[in-house]
Amino acid sequence: MKARRVEGLDPAAPLRPNAARLVRARLDELRSFAPIALEAPASKTQHDMRIAAKRLRYALEIVGPCFGPEADAARDVARRLQGVLGEIHDCDVMLPRARGIESIRERLRERRERLFGEFTQLWRDATPVWAALERALQGGRRA
Amino acid sequence: MARAREVPGFDCEEPFAAAAARVIEVRAAEVFAHSDGVLDLGDIERLHDMRVATRRLRAALEVFDSCFPRKRHRGALKRVRRLADALGERRDRDVAIEFLVGLEAETPEPDRAALRALVERLREEQREANAALAPYVKPRRLKKLRRRLRKLSRAAKR
Repeated sequence: MKARRVEGLDPAAPLRPNAARLVRARLDELRSFAPIALEAPASKTQHDMRIAAKRLRYALEIVGPCFGPEADAARDVARRLQGVLGEIHDCDVMLPRARGIESIRERLRERRERLFGEFTQLWRDATPVWAALERALQGGRRA
Repeated sequence: MARAREVPGFDCEEPFAAAAARVIEVRAAEVFAHSDGVLDLGDIERLHDMRVATRRLRAALEVFDSCFPRKRHRGALKRVRRLADALGERRDRDVAIEFLVGLEAETPEPDRAALRALVERLREEQREANAALAPYVKPRRLKKLRRRLRKLSRAAKR
């Protein structure tokens, strides 16, 4: 999945406003997948959302110091989302390969179901974290 | 997994392109610092660390793409992507093998032979992925990539 292009970045302007624009775009991209990814069988969208979470995480890892602890908290949530969605993807890849080994397939299905529950809970808990990040992006912070 | 190194002199008020140059230098150095022993199938964490460092470098190249001359940036990103993909192919097998081996003890006897056969197929794929990765992590090739990234960093539009 290609990252959405971020318009209006200016190499000569200070890092902070450029970083705010970039992080906002990555957060919007991540959130755009949620309505479909929160349906259990939507494996393709869950995979795309994992990539979006990874992009947000690494963007925050680079420019997070410009936005304070709110950015650290958001980066941590993005990292956990990336992790749980990655494990769901691993189950989806392994299931067809384990054809004919019913006990393993059963374990994989159970594992996926549990991970999907963790994902939905994590997403619900993330709402205030994203809101705090958005406020920090508007206000900036002295580095 | 290794934590990302701090970027010395990082300043939110300096120009975006100056920050780009600093970040790319540090992230590139991290990749090369983790390149020893990545082909060692007995210690899969080494490859994992290099993969994460490569992901971080790739992310930095994507974040700062507007700060570099387009052609030079595209050339560097393409090479970093290929390295990341080759590392990823190996890592996928490492993770799958580790997961399935962990299930063997609790797998009912009738399914064990099929499970072992699946693990053996994955080990074969792991060896193939390792052979495909080998040219990307040759010291000479890594040195060239490092030089390319250094030039890119110096070419940031300040």
